Amino acid sequence: MRTHYLLPWKYKKIGWFIFIPTFIVGLYTVITEFEPEFFDVNVFAIFIEGIFQDDNRLLGFINNNILNEILGILMIISSILIAFSKEPDEDEYISKIRLESLVWATYVSYGILLLAFLLVYDLSFWWVMIFNMFTILLFFIIRFNWQVWKFRKSVDYAK
Amino acid sequence: MQNSIKVERAKKNLTQEKLAVRAKVSRQTINAMELGKYVPSTVLSLRLAAIFGVEVSEIFKLEESDWK
Repeated sequence: MRTHYLLPWKYKKIGWFIFIPTFIVGLYTVITEFEPEFFDVNVFAIFIEGIFQDDNRLLGFINNNILNEILGILMIISSILIAFSKEPDEDEYISKIRLESLVWATYVSYGILLLAFLLVYDLSFWWVMIFNMFTILLFFIIRFNWQVWKFRKSVDYAK
Repeated sequence: MQNSIKVERAKKNLTQEKLAVRAKVSRQTINAMELGKYVPSTVLSLRLAAIFGVEVSEIFKLEESDWK
């Protein structure tokens, strides 16, 4: 079947290979606020917020710990590789599972965000936003792979 | 929608696996169609018709509920 916008199957493995260590290190850095000095570098920024509003400026360099940036980028890229690589037996039924899982993941991810709007405030909401950046893809990966696994296991009644 | 994939398959003496390979889908997709759990695309329907050597309308029949 011709598929649009999907990557070749081999990228799924590469995706998992990057995703698992990134996920573990990412979770650790978020919980412990781990920011080793090694990652403190000067980076280019398009908007720089000063202490007072008058100090705000456009375009320049700032010092920043880039570990969370690196992890965030790796998380997104690896999740996309896992989510949108073709299955080896990709056919129209799997495409249907793919679409349904994407709809499901969008509902669940935004459903949680809606609840958080109503129940979580101030700095705690910042945590919700951090996790919510990745949840659509995460929920999609879990639901899609679970459904495909169930589909492959489905037995035929008569050969 | 009703279909007679299983009957046509039996006439041609094909297993689900063999039909799946020829129709370029997975065996589970053939199974899902036979159980009426999945309505195939036009392309897949035409492929099945070509494999069985019949018209698409001989394999698939509309039911009253398909108009609702």
